[in-house]
Amino acid sequence: MKSYRKYMTSKIAWYVLTFVVALFLNFLLPRLIPGNPVSTIVSKITSGMADTNSIKRVYETFEKEFGLNKPIWEQFLIYVSNLLHGNMGTSFGQYPRKVTDILASSIMWTIGLQLPAIIVSWILGNVLGVLAAYIKKGFDKVLFPVFLFISCIPSFGFAIVLVWLFAVALKIAPASGGYAFDMIPSPTLSFFLSVLQHYQLPFWSIVLVGIGGQSLGMREMSIYELNADYVKYCRLLGLKDSKIVRYVFKNAVLPQITGLALSLGTMVGGALITEIVFSYPGLGSVLFNAIAAQDFPLISGCTLLITTGVLIANFVIDIVYGLIDPRIKVAQQE
Amino acid sequence: MKFKKFISMILVFLMISLLIVGCSNNSNSNKTSENNKITTTTETSVKPGEATPRNETLYISGLQWGPPTTFNPLSPSQTSLPLSATSIARELTFETLFMYNQLDGKMYPLLGKSYAFSSDNTVCTVTLNPDAKWNDGQKVTAGDVVYTFELGKKYPVSWSSNWNYLDSVTAKDDTTVEFKLKSDNKNPLMVEEALESVYILPKHVWTKIEEKDNNDFSKISSEVNENPVASGPYKVFYYDNTKVVLIRDDNYWGKAPSMWGKLPAPKYIVHNIFKDNAAGDTALRQNQVDVSQQFTPNIQTFGPNIKTYLSKPPYYMPGVIPWLVINVTKPGLDNANVRRAIAMAIDYDKIAKNAMSGYSGTMSPSLMLPLDSEQKLVDQSQLAPLQWKSHDIDGANALLDSIGAKKGPDGIRVLNGQKLSFKVECPTGWSDWNAALEIVASSCKEIGINVQTYFPQQSVWNNDMQTGNFDMGMYSYQGIGISSPWARAYQGMSSNGYAPIGQTAYFNYGRYKNSEVDTLLNQIPNITDETQLKDAWTKLNEIYLKEVPMIGLMYRPADFYTVNTSVWSGFPVEGDGTNIPPNICMDGYGIAALYKIHSSK
Repeated sequence: MKSYRKYMTSKIAWYVLTFVVALFLNFLLPRLIPGNPVSTIVSKITSGMADTNSIKRVYETFEKEFGLNKPIWEQFLIYVSNLLHGNMGTSFGQYPRKVTDILASSIMWTIGLQLPAIIVSWILGNVLGVLAAYIKKGFDKVLFPVFLFISCIPSFGFAIVLVWLFAVALKIAPASGGYAFDMIPSPTLSFFLSVLQHYQLPFWSIVLVGIGGQSLGMREMSIYELNADYVKYCRLLGLKDSKIVRYVFKNAVLPQITGLALSLGTMVGGALITEIVFSYPGLGSVLFNAIAAQDFPLISGCTLLITTGVLIANFVIDIVYGLIDPRIKVAQQE
Repeated sequence: MKFKKFISMILVFLMISLLIVGCSNNSNSNKTSENNKITTTTETSVKPGEATPRNETLYISGLQWGPPTTFNPLSPSQTSLPLSATSIARELTFETLFMYNQLDGKMYPLLGKSYAFSSDNTVCTVTLNPDAKWNDGQKVTAGDVVYTFELGKKYPVSWSSNWNYLDSVTAKDDTTVEFKLKSDNKNPLMVEEALESVYILPKHVWTKIEEKDNNDFSKISSEVNENPVASGPYKVFYYDNTKVVLIRDDNYWGKAPSMWGKLPAPKYIVHNIFKDNAAGDTALRQNQVDVSQQFTPNIQTFGPNIKTYLSKPPYYMPGVIPWLVINVTKPGLDNANVRRAIAMAIDYDKIAKNAMSGYSGTMSPSLMLPLDSEQKLVDQSQLAPLQWKSHDIDGANALLDSIGAKKGPDGIRVLNGQKLSFKVECPTGWSDWNAALEIVASSCKEIGINVQTYFPQQSVWNNDMQTGNFDMGMYSYQGIGISSPWARAYQGMSSNGYAPIGQTAYFNYGRYKNSEVDTLLNQIPNITDETQLKDAWTKLNEIYLKEVPMIGLMYRPADFYTVNTSVWSGFPVEGDGTNIPPNICMDGYGIAALYKIHSSK
């Protein structure tokens, strides 16, 4: 257990370091985009003005307001100290809204869409993978390649196909948005049904694309396990097939858990394209618009959320594997 | 072994639940922080979760593409539906003193009943409508008007620049306001524009906000003001990231006989926020939009329910001239003949047809829009010999030959050792502008001038134009309004906007300087005699046509006014005798349309 503690401490140190570097990059990278965000914002207010001095005054006021008149290292320190107070700053593009408010109002949509979609596609994919490996025949030769084919289509392309087929041609599902165009959101049944109706297409576009990838990994692992010595030994002992499949599943699913954890970690950023295609009011759309508007605080806020998600997921996987994977255990003892 | 397995299972479970809890925490905070609200104004308004009744709701699109953020007229980013105080102000929630009508170029009374300039243009006296009230029941007084204008003096807001023309704004009595003009910068046109573009704010509300925020402008301007006290016919009812809903104020003062005599027809006005033009067009086709203000190609193919202001091409009333602004400090482009040759070569007909989907009439080069109100200011016969035709390649080549710009081995002309090779830019994604610039580039190629198109992000383009880091760039100076075409000419050509390359200019991006132009621009606002005015305008246009500091590429409407008559009828169209301009039923005098439309069934 002593070596495990050592393993943990060094891991934690590495993660803290990674987080600090990521934080810095989150701050710096958006600011390297050429152009001046203040000029875009201020050009709106000053479009009707015919006098240089007042326009200049407006310009300077907002440069000061956004802290862009300070050197970049000072901006970074302000950013970090604000962050420690739970303040991600004020959005430029959606001034005067707070970044935290914007993220809060859209993250629910993203998680509501992604979490069930990831879990469903993970479960379906893994079951499909084991079955493909075990049943073979028609299953492995027809259904499996179909899902493999779907998973190879870029997700935006697949989303557009879904929109065309179900929204434009068959007209059985709405093409875009989070709820009906004439609804006012509130916790009522009719609103919930409207949300559900708009939920279908984005949900299936993620699930169907995800299944192929998951089942591919699971199938490979299962085939490997099926040829392993212990399976042969079990067969020799005359164990029931269902029991053998259970052993195989248990062994094969181990790496798949890593996959699940990682997809949960990248969930926030993962739906970007799906959300944009379906105009879904989630974080993906927010990030997309923020980049177009050079909205530094909002871009940093979104990427920070994504970074944190990925780091937490990785960290948890590291801890778990430190406990359960014998190879890592051996490495620790060296 | 068993134990470790047990621990690992627990850890996996913990990991997943941590992620979920982390998420649901966020969604909890969301409930409290999400900036939505519902005011129950009347017992008949829709309940939460219900749909706004289709036949009582006017749906609009194309006015905003991002989430609504503020209802504060002092904020710089007025991106929320009811707010737009540009050269023609939106009159839904906040109101101005007068309304501008682009059809006849006249001002119509709103909070102000009448206004008059003294004979020497030194004082403008405005009388208020005594019926005018705020939606909290208090009267709109001269004190409110004075207070509002004073705010512009105190803080850098959109109407601050009016103080360049104003000496003082004082209340004579409860319903009379006196605007004293600056004697050294007398410009009655800009004062008139202030009367139709400055939203009047309630003093009793904003003094309290100022007090609360300690007169700190950054705090005041970031107030969301989500339940605005204003004088207009609509109140903010609900908003979130995807829509803004306004509800009619049934106690609106304007139902008095001295104003409209009734309430506007739609009980709700809803703006859904679409991802792009295509999404808005789909909604228009599906009758989910009644008034669309967005560029929609081939609008004539949308069926009988979809109407535009003009029944024939160009379908929309011209309102803005997008210009090809030329940086006159660049070697090569500092030669007026080169600029003129470029102007002659451009295929304007192709731009109108391809880039603008036919929504632009034939270009008649000048500073003026092809509207009667502007055309009558110039003597056409004097301008005609100077105006260029569309796609005059031979003429342009001859002109370039005559100034000794010979073609080099690569087919590109060289003038005084300077290769005529330039970059032309506008923001990426502005599809009609991008297409127009491609046509400019190919036209220039035909006369041996190499022009590369460059489509950066909007902020880059903005910065390039302001700092002079460009050869040629597309930009729209002021379109229509009571102060145009003066404001347009001023923004495009006045040396007051000049800044050296590298320093920020806020207009006159081309860095054009001409003292004769400055003199004319100073005189025009004060000329009352019609012949004199015509002379001055003709002269200014002559200089423009000779010097070509910028080239008008097409005409665009001030608003793309496309209506869907499947739910609402009676939208104003050309020749219906209503004199209501195509300003999307809400900008300037265009709001009169809301009192005229009725249910289609």
